[in-house]
Amino acid sequence: MRAPVYSRRFFGRFRCLLFRNIALASGRFNNPNPAVPLVLFYVLVVLLGILSMGFQLLASRLLNPFFGSSLIVWAWLISTFLAAFSFGSIIGGWISNASLSQREKSQWIVGAMAVGSLAFTAFFGRALLGQIEVAFAEITTGLLVACLALFFLPVTTLSSFGPQCVQYLASRGTPPGKASGLIYGVSTLGNIAGVMLTAFVLIPHLPVSTLLYLWLSVSLVNLTALILLLRSSPTTSAK
Amino acid sequence: MKLRTLLIYGSVLISSSMLISRAAEVPDYIENHDTLYNNLTVEKRDTVVELRARSRSGEYLESAVDLADPLRLVVPYTRSLFAAAFFEPNPKSVLMIGLGGAGFHRVFTYAFPGARLQSVELDPKVWELCQEKLAFKPTVLTPVAVMDGRLFVKRNRERWDWLILDAFRGGFVPPHLKSQEFYRECAARLSDRGVFVTNLHQDTELFAADLRTIQSVFPHVLLFQTHGRGNVIVCALKSADSDLMRGPDITALEKSNPKLASKLDLDALAAELLPFPVELAGKARILTDDFSPVEFLDALKTNNTKNR
Repeated sequence: MRAPVYSRRFFGRFRCLLFRNIALASGRFNNPNPAVPLVLFYVLVVLLGILSMGFQLLASRLLNPFFGSSLIVWAWLISTFLAAFSFGSIIGGWISNASLSQREKSQWIVGAMAVGSLAFTAFFGRALLGQIEVAFAEITTGLLVACLALFFLPVTTLSSFGPQCVQYLASRGTPPGKASGLIYGVSTLGNIAGVMLTAFVLIPHLPVSTLLYLWLSVSLVNLTALILLLRSSPTTSAK
Repeated sequence: MKLRTLLIYGSVLISSSMLISRAAEVPDYIENHDTLYNNLTVEKRDTVVELRARSRSGEYLESAVDLADPLRLVVPYTRSLFAAAFFEPNPKSVLMIGLGGAGFHRVFTYAFPGARLQSVELDPKVWELCQEKLAFKPTVLTPVAVMDGRLFVKRNRERWDWLILDAFRGGFVPPHLKSQEFYRECAARLSDRGVFVTNLHQDTELFAADLRTIQSVFPHVLLFQTHGRGNVIVCALKSADSDLMRGPDITALEKSNPKLASKLDLDALAAELLPFPVELAGKARILTDDFSPVEFLDALKTNNTKNR
């Protein structure tokens, strides 16, 4: 079934606008209005925050049928996400400090890992949880394995883009401290939006499996756009 | 002189009755406990100990036991749980998810002395208070496991004649204990004539979704409405045998278990039978592990707090 003409026109224009902005931001064309890519950049940072924390609520819904909803489940889940934020930030710091070619390569690899691991969780998460539940009699061990297998890699890779976003702003003249504050402030707003949106709008209306596919699709678009945008930040390799 | 004496006697009588009524109002003690999962209040008033959990609509009475007469069912809906006896009158093994104050347990062990009643409770503090304050003494026939109810059902391979789900966390049941998959797991653990019993609250959108979900798993579903309390006890039968649908046979149960009949008003219990709301349930969506917005359906209410 073909989409109506007005719908095709709208999405065609939207697509053109998106790619034009990314291209402008990545320095392919002279940028007539530098505010436009900056707005797009912040939108992508907010989306990154939404994806990370909203995913935590989806993760809890995935785990509950297999491990219950006790405090033990939440303790492991929150710890896994915090460990992933921590590890991701360190990796992101390394990548943002690498040479241009290494950085670009790393960004695509990490982006692909994020999308790949989210796809794994979306397509095989429940089947794997069923296996883990049977394999480990001890709930704590089972939870550790489940959290590491399904949630650690997606969150680590997503959060590795935070320091790179700081680097992007800093390379455009924003003082490093201010850049860091802006990025973490904006992405935390995204975190809040992710939790509220997921809890009050998405979970009450859509199945968790559909939401995981949504997460996968949005991550694919968001990370592609972000990597293209980040390509324009100059090399600042510290030797 | 006579009038004066009468006045003195009258005032003494009034003041003493006021003192007595005030004494009945003032509890012997109130304790608050912040546990891993609940905010609990234990209140002793005369010989009755109440266990209440704080929920968004105030305090929700989880359980109550009369220490002077432990066989008296203080919380009305616990009597309705025994409706399962109309369909499986000789339970040998029963699983109860949600311990509370174990008010149900005392009557059960009295009425079915040889039967085993396994309980599962998530909150260790509830288990502790149940023993310390509500004087529950577990035996070989009434063991208690402290763990998640669904995990227990999955890992335990026993078959149960009754499986009772009464696991509330401050007036709210966790989503993973409300899904079609969980009810299937419960059905798989029931004996051939087994009965799945669950306590629902009637006044929320969740009620319809619950009924639809239970009906999608069990061939026969019967409802018993606790009078004036908003609780509806669901008895879902594993067997498709249409004989079981004839409804409660009070005479047969009285004959087979006079002890139970002596403690419960079986006529009143049978009168609680409620017609299944086919239209209401038909409109609702089945809850699954994938789609289970329990918290939100529970919040969509006509007035789900008035009878709690």
